[in-house]
Amino acid sequence: MTSRDLIVGIVLDDAGLTLEQIAGACAVDRTWVVTHVSEGYLPVVGDRESNWHFTAAALNRARRIRAIERDFDAVPELAALVADMLDEMDALRTRLNRGGLS
Amino acid sequence: MEFKDYYQVLGVERGATADEVKKAYRKLARKYHPDVSKEPDANTRMRDVNEANAVLSDPEKRAAYDQVGRGYQPGQDFRPPPDWDAGFEFSGSGEPPGAGADFSDFFSQIFGRRGGGGARFQQGGNFQARGQDHHAKVMLEIEDAFEGAERQITLRVPKADAQGRVQVEDRALNVKIPKGVFAGQMIRLAGQGSPGHGGAPAGDLLLEVAFNSHDRYRVEGRDIHLRLPVTPWEAALGAVVPVKAPGANLEVRIPAGAQSGRQMRVRGKGIPAASPGDLYLDLQVVLPPAQTPEAKAVYENMARELAFDPRAAATEGAP
Repeated sequence: MTSRDLIVGIVLDDAGLTLEQIAGACAVDRTWVVTHVSEGYLPVVGDRESNWHFTAAALNRARRIRAIERDFDAVPELAALVADMLDEMDALRTRLNRGGLS
Repeated sequence: MEFKDYYQVLGVERGATADEVKKAYRKLARKYHPDVSKEPDANTRMRDVNEANAVLSDPEKRAAYDQVGRGYQPGQDFRPPPDWDAGFEFSGSGEPPGAGADFSDFFSQIFGRRGGGGARFQQGGNFQARGQDHHAKVMLEIEDAFEGAERQITLRVPKADAQGRVQVEDRALNVKIPKGVFAGQMIRLAGQGSPGHGGAPAGDLLLEVAFNSHDRYRVEGRDIHLRLPVTPWEAALGAVVPVKAPGANLEVRIPAGAQSGRQMRVRGKGIPAASPGDLYLDLQVVLPPAQTPEAKAVYENMARELAFDPRAAATEGAP
């Protein structure tokens, strides 16, 4: 591969990553993802494991939860709660930004 | 390559117990966590802290680090001696310092990109594993979502030399960003992550789309919000005004009696897609300055001729 080659990316639509892909992207095994979905910590599109798809937002949340679990030896419930609060903080920052207050 | 003193990074003594290392790590992980830290160099500090913890919390790596780093001072030029790791057997069970995290050259030189397999992990017999996915954020201008863009992205990737040692190299990729992307969306570049091992496929590179902030535009999903200044007479009487929006120059009809804060929607003029976003115009009535006698006369005339009190509702019934 040279720096002159032009690589065309595939845009993931709103339901873009498979179970294996999100597991790979978070450096976890698929059981971790399945457990976190079944406990309601990760949003998923699709009614069966075989056709589950994960959005980019779900990937960001999964990576955040994984990092909290790893960095602080946090149980999944606590990591998900922290992720909820960080999501809320992001939403508030967006509102501040919208109002020109940030 | 500069020597990193991981004990100094975590602020612990060289003889610190595993509990002391863990406690110091958690304290610093909280301080420099990129989601909450206000420190300007939080990302860099968090990487260093993660690296230090990955080494000092693992007895095998810690012992190897203590041996190879004996006599070095922080910042001193560092070269690991040949075969420094002879006699050490890494279990390979250690977790890299942060999935998808960047590694310092120092860490990669000693422990390899994966952090757990030692510097020679790539020569592992029949071991097969798909390469790690990489993540990066690509910053675009809002206009790029309308026209597409090309961006050069530099990745730091480990490569084994003839002796099997891992060196970190910069790899530049020219990436075509298709039009129609929006913030938070992921672009997957198949096979552009870390190489696989033992014939397994390479990982992917996942690019997260983000937009640089803009003076006039704001993006929400596929919708574009634009602040549109209008004159008092355009707002009061109605007018057709030109609007320079991303991707199009439009003529928009302002209805008579419009006020500041009113929002108008131009359907389908947001970020293009099968279901394109909308363009929202946030009207802002701007008063001309009364700096000349003529301008003052106009305002004085308005004051005389228009029976207008914007505070009437607020003062109604007040004593």
